[in-house]
Amino acid sequence: MDRLGRLDIEKLRRRINLSIRRGMRDPAPPIRTAQQVAVPERTAGSEGIEGEERETPMGRYLLQERVYANGSRHGDFPIDRLREASPQWIAAASNRELDPVHPSRWVFLDTETTGLAGGTGTCAFLVGVGALEDAGFRVKLYFMRDYDEEPAMLAALAEHLARYDAVVTYNGKAFDVPLLETRYLLKRQRSPFARMGHLDLLHCARRLWRERMPNCRLGTLESRILGFERNGDIPGALIPQRYFEFLRSRRASGLAPVFRHNALDIVSLACLASRTMAIYASPDEPPLRHGQDLLGLARWLRNAGDEGRALQTYRRAIRAGLPPVSLCSCLWEAAQLQRRAGNHPAKVALLRDLSRACKANRVDAFVALAKHYEHIEKDFVQALELTREAQRLGPSDELDHREARLVRKVAG
Amino acid sequence: MAPPSDLILQAGNRSMTPRRTDPIAPRDRSLASVIASLEALQQHADSPVAAIRRRAPSEPRFAQLPDALDPRLLGVLAKRGIERPYVHQAESWNRIAAGENVVVVTPTASGKTLCYNLPVLNALAVDPGTCALYLFPTKALAVDQLEEFNGYGNALGADVRAFTYDGDTPSDARRAIRRRANVVLSNPDMLHAGVLPHHTRWARFFEHLRYIVVDELHAYRGVFGSHLANVLRRLKRIAAFYGSKPQFICCSATIANPRQLAEGIAEEPFALVDDNGAPSGEKYFVFYNPPVVNQQLGIRRSYVNEARRMAQVFLDRGRQTLVFANNRLATEVLTRYLKESVGRRAGRPAPVRGYRGGYLPKERREIERQLREGEVLGVVATNALELGIDIGSLDAVVMAGYPGSVASTWQRAGRAGRRRDVSVSVLVASSAPLDQYVVEHPEYFFDSSPEEAHINPDNLEILVNHLKCAAFELPIEGGETFGPHATTELCRFLEESGVLHHAGGAWHWTSESYPADAISLRKVTSDNFVVVDASDSSRVIGEVAFPAALTSLHEKAIYIHEGKLFHVEHFEYKERKAYVKRVECGYYTDAIEHSQVVPLEDFDNQRQGEATAIHGEIRITRRVVGFKKIRFYTNENVGDGKLSMPEQEMHTTAFWLHFRTGFLAGLPYATTEKRDGLIGLGNVLRTVATVALMCDPRDLGVSTRHSHSGPDSPLDPELFLYDNYPGGIGQSEPLFRMRDSLGTRVRDLLGACPCKAGCPSCVGAPGEVGGKAKEVARLLAESLIVPAQVAPTA
Repeated sequence: MDRLGRLDIEKLRRRINLSIRRGMRDPAPPIRTAQQVAVPERTAGSEGIEGEERETPMGRYLLQERVYANGSRHGDFPIDRLREASPQWIAAASNRELDPVHPSRWVFLDTETTGLAGGTGTCAFLVGVGALEDAGFRVKLYFMRDYDEEPAMLAALAEHLARYDAVVTYNGKAFDVPLLETRYLLKRQRSPFARMGHLDLLHCARRLWRERMPNCRLGTLESRILGFERNGDIPGALIPQRYFEFLRSRRASGLAPVFRHNALDIVSLACLASRTMAIYASPDEPPLRHGQDLLGLARWLRNAGDEGRALQTYRRAIRAGLPPVSLCSCLWEAAQLQRRAGNHPAKVALLRDLSRACKANRVDAFVALAKHYEHIEKDFVQALELTREAQRLGPSDELDHREARLVRKVAG
Repeated sequence: MAPPSDLILQAGNRSMTPRRTDPIAPRDRSLASVIASLEALQQHADSPVAAIRRRAPSEPRFAQLPDALDPRLLGVLAKRGIERPYVHQAESWNRIAAGENVVVVTPTASGKTLCYNLPVLNALAVDPGTCALYLFPTKALAVDQLEEFNGYGNALGADVRAFTYDGDTPSDARRAIRRRANVVLSNPDMLHAGVLPHHTRWARFFEHLRYIVVDELHAYRGVFGSHLANVLRRLKRIAAFYGSKPQFICCSATIANPRQLAEGIAEEPFALVDDNGAPSGEKYFVFYNPPVVNQQLGIRRSYVNEARRMAQVFLDRGRQTLVFANNRLATEVLTRYLKESVGRRAGRPAPVRGYRGGYLPKERREIERQLREGEVLGVVATNALELGIDIGSLDAVVMAGYPGSVASTWQRAGRAGRRRDVSVSVLVASSAPLDQYVVEHPEYFFDSSPEEAHINPDNLEILVNHLKCAAFELPIEGGETFGPHATTELCRFLEESGVLHHAGGAWHWTSESYPADAISLRKVTSDNFVVVDASDSSRVIGEVAFPAALTSLHEKAIYIHEGKLFHVEHFEYKERKAYVKRVECGYYTDAIEHSQVVPLEDFDNQRQGEATAIHGEIRITRRVVGFKKIRFYTNENVGDGKLSMPEQEMHTTAFWLHFRTGFLAGLPYATTEKRDGLIGLGNVLRTVATVALMCDPRDLGVSTRHSHSGPDSPLDPELFLYDNYPGGIGQSEPLFRMRDSLGTRVRDLLGACPCKAGCPSCVGAPGEVGGKAKEVARLLAESLIVPAQVAPTA
């Protein structure tokens, strides 16, 4: 039985308007009544969006393709630099989580969604994928013109992805791929990602550029690293609303910037990937000029367990020049590595540099030096002197203990 | 037999200082002697003992263990001394095995938990892939039950992977739980906002979901129950998507309509299992009305002080006692009194502790354990201990004030009850009208069945909000129903408001928002204030829910925690923090709150005698404007202060009476007398409505105001009876429908009340509403009676 059948829809409208008003400081414009809503005629096409309607057994969707010919540049960056990549690159950049994959079987992916909230109610309405071909870099944009085209779009995307073995994304581990996996599950289709390797370039980029960049958003790196400036790009926050407007009005004009935005993201992602992976692939001679970038690389090598290369890179970073704060961390970290390697003279030199260069780390440096003289050199007088130096700068219980012990050792 | 000295209550004794009421240690420490004394006291004229009821002990009734049980499970049960189940446990097993949904209603500590654990454990023993979802109204209960369940699970040796999943679950553990768990213990709020909107991450769990256990079903009354019913509509929809159709097992404390409630919440047929086979010892229930100390003013002894004395009678005899108070403040005041008056025994921890929602979880777990293990003798608690947290069974329960409903009174009384020994529950009535009514009419309580629990899952606002969540979770297919409702009309409406979009025969969620975030399932927001003890290194000592914080944590308030006093130094409204410092002082504080009602919209109105009866939507603004300082024990007002606190707004539904212009003006009374009469009428109406709607008196608010109906017209009085919940819970419409009989009911209640000029049981004590309130209220009530119905006057 439909118990709501008796309900007066006007009463409902009044009550809901009331409940909407409650949530807001300013009264919201009341919901329009049915007569006032202009219900657009559903049209099969999508005037204004370039692209081709594709027919599949599951229905239709729209596909737009763009090819960036060999030799073209994205900002300062030649797009086909990607051709120099080797299968090893992706393995190196993923910290050996991925097996080597030939670059022709890499696919770059980015989605535009109906929101950032996550959960099953967020949908990817536009999925862009890019890959290297003989003719150049081809970007394919899979677009659902309405919710009923989602099954066809997803199926076609899965079919296309079957050609590739590794997917490269920017923050895709946290966002794009789980979201698409949810969509496949909801549409009862098999997810294409289960069999593919996945490199989330955000993680690689963060390690390298965090020290120098204000943030590691794709837009920031694209301008600072690739030298590419977008003009009139649509801010990401406006994208869901554009799609909803399109659904209601079926006017495509608002969507053109969204397509352009997505395609540019894919190209930037591919260029940034080739730039970043090249660095990880050749740590002996990394094509990096900035000390801070080298510092990032050094840390990555250290965390990956390659301490020898990490030390070389720390040295290179110091030589390339670092701002004071970065220099202090660099000296300190390098000294720690030298200590672990048992290379004491190098460690002492680094700590001496640290105590001279960095006010903030002076106490740490003196304490580390004191430990060195006490335990390695057994030079208790020197150790005591350094401890007192440290005490003068920043007294602590721990230092008092150390001093007392050293006094005893010097005496005894 | 002469009553023990601690039970002799001299009406003239007004000494209010804390004192040991028991100068001679009672020689006979048995509860039987206390009962005998109370029975003797009952014989005195004007005895404060209004009633004593005895329940005879009952023997256990057993059934055979079902053949179908897994042999390993039989072994575990045998090891725990369970050779045969009680009849109710066997019956629920049989019905669940037959595929029926079951609601089990038996008293506290009758082995209800096994009714649902048994089928779930057996299913897991047979196939560890099976999944079950347990829902509890609080996180604490889930933690409590996890321990019990794991006790069985580990002994069973089957692959049992049970976890709690709620707001306290760390995010890295969540992923593992989603992947591995076959039993998840959670709450409706988490299911609503954390699980259903992400159901794809739970695909395996939903695919194999076989049982849904809803414990403490009676807790889901009113708004909370209406929300749960809608959450379960969503859950069933998701389960169907993954191809499963889970079976429901519900447990409830005694209420009038457990089966109806279960069927209303799950929207499925249920079998009722209520033939309790568990044994119980002899049990007494005593109604105690503090003696009148001032006949003219109708003032009785403070019920808090009397409850303390009563509790002490038991505590002094070494009997484990639970004292229930109806609010935070009374709980803390009683904790302090009892801590002061109950002797500390050498080598024992504090004999008395407080327990309420605002304590930190760790502290609460510790008190629960101490109660179970007999490490603490007495605990003073709010209704936080009314729910089924396992604290074992106690010797005595003292209720400071009527809990507000028959059901929760029985539930609290059920905390006393030894399997073999005598136990006692005492209700100490306050001077509130309902308390007085109950204590003076024991048959009202003992003979009437507990209240019905009502829900209204079709409350439009609730329904529409959950429909949004449902659309977010899965597109709503054309022709799909949500509960019993066709969805087309509502979906079309939501499309107009821009959150749904129709395509390919289904409605899709087209908004960036996450709709579950916009709805809280409970009256109380989850917004909490933390209490920071600034006297030693800024330690967080407690938390207070939003609305209560304004009345208990304002600057200069005395905040009481476990009977210890703290002075609120600083109240940070925006940061939701209050900084307090430990103090010793002889008073506590009580906030003065002003509220104002503004009608927003009439849903319906009808002439009712001299007034117009209306039901509709109102806005209530509340503001704490000041506070009183009240001396401990004597309750003297020893000072006050003004406060300027932020205003709180609530929209709700109300029933109200708008008296005809000039009607009140024509009555031969002074203006204040008329105002008092209107307030008096409100008090009586609330009592009448509470009985008629079988609701909790706290569910209804009363307010009056005087408005101009025209620029030059005199003031029109208005009397509001409103749903004390944001959005309303549908009580005003039935009141509107019974408007014809309200006048008569009020008149009858006033006529039957033996007081001369008003008392706390009818219009209020004369000290509160003046000497003419009863007269005026009666006139107002009669003015509501349509002439044809007026009985011929003598």
